[in-house]
Amino acid sequence: MSANSESEGEKLAETEIIERFARLFGAKLLLDGSLVAKRGKRYFLLNQKLKGLTEKYGGWIYAGTYLGKVGRGEVFHPSFQLLFMIADKAKNRIVIDDKTAWLFVCGRDIFKEGILKIEGSRRKGDYTLVFNKHGECLGYGLIVTNLDLLQSGLAVKNLLDIGDFLRRERQAFQEA
Amino acid sequence: MLGKEFFVGRYRRLGWEFREASPRQAIRVNVMNVDGVDVVGRLRNLGVELEKVPFLQNGYWVVRSDFSVGATVEYLLGYYSIQEAAAQIPATLFTDLKDKTVLDACAAPGGKTVQLADLMGNTGVIVALDVNGRRLKALMNQLERCRVRNTVVYLLDARRVSELGLKFDRILLDVPCSGNFAADENWFRRRTLRDVERNAKLQRQILAEVVKVLKDDGEIVYATCSLEPEENELNIDWAVKTLGLETVEIDCYGEEAPTKVFGKKLDESVRCCRRIWPGETQGFFVCKLRKRR
Repeated sequence: MSANSESEGEKLAETEIIERFARLFGAKLLLDGSLVAKRGKRYFLLNQKLKGLTEKYGGWIYAGTYLGKVGRGEVFHPSFQLLFMIADKAKNRIVIDDKTAWLFVCGRDIFKEGILKIEGSRRKGDYTLVFNKHGECLGYGLIVTNLDLLQSGLAVKNLLDIGDFLRRERQAFQEA
Repeated sequence: MLGKEFFVGRYRRLGWEFREASPRQAIRVNVMNVDGVDVVGRLRNLGVELEKVPFLQNGYWVVRSDFSVGATVEYLLGYYSIQEAAAQIPATLFTDLKDKTVLDACAAPGGKTVQLADLMGNTGVIVALDVNGRRLKALMNQLERCRVRNTVVYLLDARRVSELGLKFDRILLDVPCSGNFAADENWFRRRTLRDVERNAKLQRQILAEVVKVLKDDGEIVYATCSLEPEENELNIDWAVKTLGLETVEIDCYGEEAPTKVFGKKLDESVRCCRRIWPGETQGFFVCKLRKRR
């Protein structure tokens, strides 16, 4: 494999890890691999102008749209910008009531009683995006019990919610 | 030379009689993210009492809130930022930001970077620099929360920006400064004239560097939250006399800057700068510059 095709192969792999994540929710995301840049373990989606700039002037630490990072065990951790990108395309989605939405943003799991609507998969082990009643994506979770059979109790485990921004701010404050 | 009496005496000589000030908390709506969403209405429904800031297009005072306005879903979705009212002024002073290449030279923690992206509608490019890695983390969080897509961030001292080899249409210089008593209750105990002079020197170094990367028809907005003339009028007087820059008339909140400071007569064009004494806002100074034509 030539150096060039090797780097094209890497690009494909970089795009694939993100597109595979989108498919967990039944969303088809097609990224232009030439605009996806990797910095350490973090992925970014650039526009043409940013691409030219970052190629010319290296050493950047953040650029364009942050897509997520690969953590321990090669697990992909999405950014909220990526979640918002796939929100419109995702088939697996649940809509929750106000109280549940607030609890979810505070890091709590979702009980069946707080779910207003379910679209797409209801199967245990599948992933679903979580929306409030305004249609705003608040994060995502893992369906822990078959939602068709469940009458009440724990339905979706919180895997990531937008309250993470507050937790990060708090952590940064403590570090300072 | 330090202490409240010393600094208050200086303010008096600049024409301002000292009084305690408590700047009001303010938010700024991120227009790029609120397509069809009535953010102000939603906050009011949550019980947050807001009042439009008369001198800002997208700014609101928080009159009353039973909880932190930094802990709402609307905030976490990037619909608004918490940004002090005077600090919202500098980014609005540029002409025509769409599709421009913009430098935010001392960008962290990123409030003004997000505002620039908002005013640019996420078009063009913002190059955001800062020397403080920890503060850059805060900036990157803000960029993600507010869905900014047009910014590239470098851990780089603004005094080395010419190493990037780029030229900029617009440069925001929200330079490191001594701050002011309205934003820091221990300010008078902590600050000395030596601090002020050290900051003024750093600010001149940054000004001198960014002139090298300003396009011939470009604009610089220089801002500090300091009340000390060494960091404000005296620096602008120096820039006008030594860097080939000229001030530009601006129409914004604040008083015309004095052109006579502690007995020293400054270039007449320094009056184009705006000085904001603490009151409803914190203390602030802002000025627009371009290359002399």
